Amino acid sequence: MKEKKAPKAAKKADSTPARFKVGDHVRVKDLPNMFYSRTQIYARGVSGTIAARTYQDLIPEDEAFNRDGRLEQYYIVRFRQKDLWEEYPSEKDTLQTEFPDRWLEPV
Amino acid sequence: MSLRTALRQQYDIIGSLQPATHVPQNWNYEIPSSLYRAYMHPPHDVGGQRDVPVQYEEKEEEQWELNTYVTCEVLGWRGMWSAEERRRRADNDLGYTLYLGMPYYGRWIWAAARMLVDKNHISLTELLEKIAEVKSRHERKESSESSQKGRQHARPF
Repeated sequence: MKEKKAPKAAKKADSTPARFKVGDHVRVKDLPNMFYSRTQIYARGVSGTIAARTYQDLIPEDEAFNRDGRLEQYYIVRFRQKDLWEEYPSEKDTLQTEFPDRWLEPV
Repeated sequence: MSLRTALRQQYDIIGSLQPATHVPQNWNYEIPSSLYRAYMHPPHDVGGQRDVPVQYEEKEEEQWELNTYVTCEVLGWRGMWSAEERRRRADNDLGYTLYLGMPYYGRWIWAAARMLVDKNHISLTELLEKIAEVKSRHERKESSESSQKGRQHARPF
């Protein structure tokens, strides 16, 4: 078996500061899909509220191609189900899911 | 694939797996953006799509599935790939036919083999010859077992 390392793009130590805090209103970016993503299309372009800051990690689009990239803050974002699915029967229900910083923009 | 009838059957199966939308010409430049977005959609992003009700069952892993899991984890510990690269290769890169048709850990082990070939750790020729060698070893073992029992196994396919 040949030892052959994949090229590394940057040091893992690099990290971008967190832009959002709990309670901030954010919108999920609507970037194109190509090759890989973990950002569900139902959440794209929809606004929600930061429910929690979780941890710092690589973003999936870098890690999926073994680029070390920069560490980013991850957040749990809370959406109203009605905002995601307009036919949803209840006003009160919410859905929470997680995104790295770069997938979010301030509202 | 020496039997011509087996070859014909194989073509029929391949035909049945082809997508419902099938553009025979290779110069279909007028792809509307909604269709393009659908082509680019990662198969594992299933949330919100319509589906029929599914009967959920409790099921334990088979031994080969546990072996696959350990193999893929060890490849991670050795720095061959990250968990996210495994997800990309075993979910996104397969395309719908394999993603929806293969078992969960079947996708994992397929993706591991593909990664080892892509990164030049093994050559495709080595892999194919090894698979053929193991297959013929199993066939010899099966035929000697069935001749000991004095009857022929009904083969699953």
